[in-house]
Amino acid sequence: MPSAARTGGAVAEPERFATEPAADDGERTIIGFFCRECAYAAADATGNARVPLPTTVRSVLVPCTGRVGPLHVMSALAEGADGVFLAGCLEGQCHYREGNLSALDRIAFVQRLLESVGVERERVQMFTMSAADSPRFVAATKRMHATISALPRLERR
Amino acid sequence: MPLTARGREILGSLPGVAPTVTTDGIGCEIVRREELCIGCGRCVKVCPSAAIAESSRFDPAQLYDAPAGTTRGALGAALRRIARHEPDGSFEVPERVRTFRTIEFDRTRCLGCGACTRACPTGAVTARPVNAGEIGGFAGADRVPCAVPA
Repeated sequence: MPSAARTGGAVAEPERFATEPAADDGERTIIGFFCRECAYAAADATGNARVPLPTTVRSVLVPCTGRVGPLHVMSALAEGADGVFLAGCLEGQCHYREGNLSALDRIAFVQRLLESVGVERERVQMFTMSAADSPRFVAATKRMHATISALPRLERR
Repeated sequence: MPLTARGREILGSLPGVAPTVTTDGIGCEIVRREELCIGCGRCVKVCPSAAIAESSRFDPAQLYDAPAGTTRGALGAALRRIARHEPDGSFEVPERVRTFRTIEFDRTRCLGCGACTRACPTGAVTARPVNAGEIGGFAGADRVPCAVPA
């Protein structure tokens, strides 16, 4: 963890997600599918600025969030993730025209699928941001971390 | 109406059709196997009598019946692992999700032409010859000849 002095004061007081106990029953696993054009660039900028992020989030680079289907999300949940989120371009700014809009609807579909079998819909979410909007990326990641940490671990059969 | 000699010849070349049947009995009965359906909607597009329609709702229980090795089967297996109870009924599908929809088949409007059988990429729709009157209320004379291999 870099000190505030080393980051040149860009981050006044780094928040220490890594050492925070996530919950009473262990740390959660969150899978984030990040679009290469926007969210991954924002994640890169976040890393370059040395902004600490919750260690629960594992990132997966995808060319466009439109590539992520219900099966990707459901497989992640079935294989060990407690939450899945997608981060893509702002509405109307998808580099593949409408990939993020498709992703938004697919996430809505998965949420309804989860609800129909009694699993919380908040476990699957989608956020949109521009490539330059690193603070928004940080906010989305933190929000996802907070949401999933508040929920019990996802039980599997 | 009895068949002509040529008619009997054509019918005799079709598998599963007895050469003694009349024109009243040469439409096909469409048999759908919902567990193989991937919801692509090709049968909906080719149906000449609008007997097949895409519903805006989807029942997750369909995923449990899908065969392993298909996307729906894999999705069903994943859903089964994390499910806390059995699926509680169908829900509305968002607009841009095209493939997870229920295909509704209206037997009374079916002409028995078999276009859906040829369009189906997974073999979920099959056709078999039947005698007139077995399909709900449809007059045999209105049915077009079945040219689909059984």
